[in-house]
Amino acid sequence: MTGQTLTVLAADVPFPPSVEDFYLPSIVPWGGHADTWFTKITLMLWLSVAILIIFFMVAYRKPQLVPSKKQWLAESIYGFVRNNIAVDMIGKEGVRFAPYLATLFCFIFMMNLWGIIPFFQISPNSHIAFPIILALISWVLFIYLGFKKHGVGYLKIALVPPAPWFILPILVPIEFFSNFIVRPFSLAVRLFANMFAGHMLLLVFTLGGFAMINSNALLAPVSVLSWLMTIALTFLDFAIIALQAYVFTVLTASYIQGSLAEGH
Amino acid sequence: MAGQQPPSEPPKDDAPPPINSSGGWTAISYLIGGMLVWGGIGWLVDHYLLGTKGIAMGIGAVIGGAAGVYLIARRLGA
Repeated sequence: MTGQTLTVLAADVPFPPSVEDFYLPSIVPWGGHADTWFTKITLMLWLSVAILIIFFMVAYRKPQLVPSKKQWLAESIYGFVRNNIAVDMIGKEGVRFAPYLATLFCFIFMMNLWGIIPFFQISPNSHIAFPIILALISWVLFIYLGFKKHGVGYLKIALVPPAPWFILPILVPIEFFSNFIVRPFSLAVRLFANMFAGHMLLLVFTLGGFAMINSNALLAPVSVLSWLMTIALTFLDFAIIALQAYVFTVLTASYIQGSLAEGH
Repeated sequence: MAGQQPPSEPPKDDAPPPINSSGGWTAISYLIGGMLVWGGIGWLVDHYLLGTKGIAMGIGAVIGGAAGVYLIARRLGA
């Protein structure tokens, strides 16, 4: 009975999964593939923003000396970013960047978390557009801060390493490449690739289970194993979700620190 | 009351600014960046100036890799 249901379910499960699986049918207009004005991804983006705003507003509405559970959670998140990322990485000046870094951390975490929330199960960050915009904001921020603090001298700090003059022509292009091109690129690609691969892994193990049970009933135990792996990988994905939000924030803080630091 | 002491641990905000602790990423970007930049310039030289098949790109990548290692030593070394 169960086997039959599974077979019916699996009748037209596409395998292997492809990049196409990341482009879901749109919600408005319903089921459209070309006119994608409002997709599940869009929905999750707005939901993330709404959830974060509402959560922090409710948590901080009536702050109490002995915090409620919500207030404790909100304060822990902000305190963690403020003390363990902003102040630890940037130093005393880091406090004024704590709001930006905390927003960044919470937003990326929430956006990544959709990847393992049942019925959503795809992270908007697995579309590279979102990480690109986030990385661009951090990129503009640290360059702006550098020029604001050092004026044109920022270029010297960022591009000219302490080295004899005759090696500089070789080193300066590398510094330029590494500081102004690789940084935003690696920020964006790291986040995107982790979320993309996480979704892909879950797809492979879920759909693979269906594909195997579909092709041969004897493979049913392997299918079950494959689905158990899906559950285990979901937990792994959660670790990666938190880690990537943390890494993005820490690297942004580190770039800000580099822009604010005195010359070498 | 008179025996009350201020907290012995200074507030975190007053701690000295730390050294750049994301040195690992920086090192990787120098290594790869060095080879990419000078290998790329070498490729351009091969392609548009000399018409050779990759000798300049090879030399460029080696020089770039060496420069990357040198940069890591200068920027991140003690």
